[in-house]
Amino acid sequence: MPYKEITRGAGKRMMEEILIGTLSVEILYSFIIVICSLMIFFGTKELYKLSGHKGIKYFRLAFLYFAIAYFFRSFIKIIIVCFGMDGFRSFGFLFGAASSFLFMYFSIMAIFYLLYSVLYKKLKRDYIKVFHVGLLVLTFVVIGFGNNIKLILLANILLLLFIVYIVYLAYMQSKKKKSLNLYIVYFLLSIFWMLNIIDILIPDFLRAFQLLIYLMSLGVFLVILYKVLTRAGVN
Amino acid sequence: MERRGRLEIMRDILKIVQNNHKIKPTPLLRQSNISSSRFKEYFNEILNKKFIKEIKGNRDEKLIILTENGEKFLEKYKIIINFIEEFEL
Repeated sequence: MPYKEITRGAGKRMMEEILIGTLSVEILYSFIIVICSLMIFFGTKELYKLSGHKGIKYFRLAFLYFAIAYFFRSFIKIIIVCFGMDGFRSFGFLFGAASSFLFMYFSIMAIFYLLYSVLYKKLKRDYIKVFHVGLLVLTFVVIGFGNNIKLILLANILLLLFIVYIVYLAYMQSKKKKSLNLYIVYFLLSIFWMLNIIDILIPDFLRAFQLLIYLMSLGVFLVILYKVLTRAGVN
Repeated sequence: MERRGRLEIMRDILKIVQNNHKIKPTPLLRQSNISSSRFKEYFNEILNKKFIKEIKGNRDEKLIILTENGEKFLEKYKIIINFIEEFEL
């Protein structure tokens, strides 16, 4: 039940405490992920500047997009926690549809960039513009259908299946099979991205596991950050 | 023999410049061990990135020297390659 619906007595005080706790967790969670992503983006700046390597460019952009996506996610979550799902929808275009659109667009594009950083060498053409246009159209259609939860879920499940398939193919074609860890990390990142979307769409669905999902999701980002900082020679 | 990658060729050209301190374009091309068209491509890239610069010698000849950015690239080359390999980029 959203906070604004509890208005009287001890119930209100208890809800206030729960609200503060929930908001603190949400803000802290998003803040750590945004910081981790930005540290990866800026920590690899020099390597990209010196090498001009396309793979490093896509890798960096993936984490810049993650940072933007998680910023909008925290924004959406705070509104949902305070005003409920209906309250969020009635927030008007600016806060409702626009923030959903930006969250969806940036989070999916982040995953695409991450995959693209591994796969671009195997592709004969540059598909980034196609991804951008395709995703913009898809997001417009989904949001245009009034933020239909089933439609968003279906689109995301299809994307996740596509990602799992691509990660598997990339792993099988990989020259050095020892890098299984990297693919596990990317796979987990995609899974937690999916769980984050479900968490936004159906807030009650994962409530019991929310903290666990947050901790595991943070763990994945911290592992990537650690790998990046040690390999990029950043202190 | 395995074909050298873009970064490896850039490293090799910069190494030659570093070892010679100052070098003319023609011996640099010869020592780089790549075709002249490819050399031109890489030469322009490292020149645009300000890894090397052209100066005039005593007899007004064109000489190539390494810049601070070029030194930095050579210094970080191993890290860049390890990073690319680690993340399969």
